[in-house]
Amino acid sequence: MLHILKMIVIAAAGVALGLAATFVSVERSQNLGQGAGLWFGAVKAGPWTGWPKTGTRDADPYARAFFARTGETPLGITEGLSFIARQDSRGAWLEPRCDYLVSGAVPPARYWTLSALDPDGHIPPGGGERHGFTSSELLRKSDGGFEIRIAASARPGNWLPVVSGQPFLLMLRLYDTSLSANAFSVVERVMPSIAREACR
Amino acid sequence: MKGRELLGAAAFATLPWVAGCLVVAGIVHLASIFIMPQLAPRDAFARMSAAAPLHRQTLLPVAAPGSGGPFEDPAFAQGLCRYDLSQGPVRVRATLVPDALMLMSFHGRQGQIYYSMTDRSATRGKLDVLLVTRRQLDVVEANDPEDELPQDLRIITPTLEGFVLFRALAEFPGEMEDAKKRIQSIFCGLDKDLRP
Repeated sequence: MLHILKMIVIAAAGVALGLAATFVSVERSQNLGQGAGLWFGAVKAGPWTGWPKTGTRDADPYARAFFARTGETPLGITEGLSFIARQDSRGAWLEPRCDYLVSGAVPPARYWTLSALDPDGHIPPGGGERHGFTSSELLRKSDGGFEIRIAASARPGNWLPVVSGQPFLLMLRLYDTSLSANAFSVVERVMPSIAREACR
Repeated sequence: MKGRELLGAAAFATLPWVAGCLVVAGIVHLASIFIMPQLAPRDAFARMSAAAPLHRQTLLPVAAPGSGGPFEDPAFAQGLCRYDLSQGPVRVRATLVPDALMLMSFHGRQGQIYYSMTDRSATRGKLDVLLVTRRQLDVVEANDPEDELPQDLRIITPTLEGFVLFRALAEFPGEMEDAKKRIQSIFCGLDKDLRP
């Protein structure tokens, strides 16, 4: 009798543990950034993280479960690649009270866009008209490079506004890129940097 | 010495229970991960089902504060065509504007992408895709003229139901209306000639 009781308790503990592991895998959390399940197949390049396999038939079960929860429709691999940054190039969390300068090079792509989204990936309310830049509309430097300033109040040049006091993330999307999902080792050198400037 | 032996025996006795617990946890975890795409109530398919009727090209709202799904690009006009192949093969036909970025992704019932392309895949500015089941493809091929190659791209879908997402880039904010028109100019619906 005691034996059966013990088995039931053990089984219940196992079920609870298994579901807890699933919850951690598919739930977005502030510290992990994404569900822990998205650790598989994640590719880091400087401050940027991408999931090149999610837009293919080879998406792993964790990524599928994660996207089933969020309702997100990732880019297909032929359409492009997307990268998220929640930290700056030095590894500090992006803070709405600070200004950031995004500059440098972008991997070869027909078009790319940079947008500022809230931590769940939605467009934050109260931020005015502009939520991102396309590669076509950027003011370029004479050498073809670019600088985008991310700040809560107006800045000269390419100003990407964020909402004061609201946490945000940056999303870089490369459309129709020749970059292949398997050739990521070379990416880091050509990804833009995110440098923190003044904080209030 | 005696105490340590007792402790060792106790640890040895609980070991199978701990192992059993972990095995159960592992099975439950994997099963729930695999079943999630089938059960999740707010997945992309559910969101799309609420957003558009079957077999009709539908313009989706541009990502804006308080609208749209997660991680959508606000620089794109978006279109959606939901399909159910149990009613027959579905045709997607578009005449594309040269050099204007258009993205297409084909999703199955669980939201998985089984095919994607850009306007670069078009031949002479035109795009002609037929979504079919394997059985429907057999019928279509049986009716093909023998002396010419099919002009359309035929894709076998992994599930009967699914959706196609179209995204057109507005390079500048003022081009958004043009991008929407490019989305709306795409035909998507049951193929009239191939209807059962």
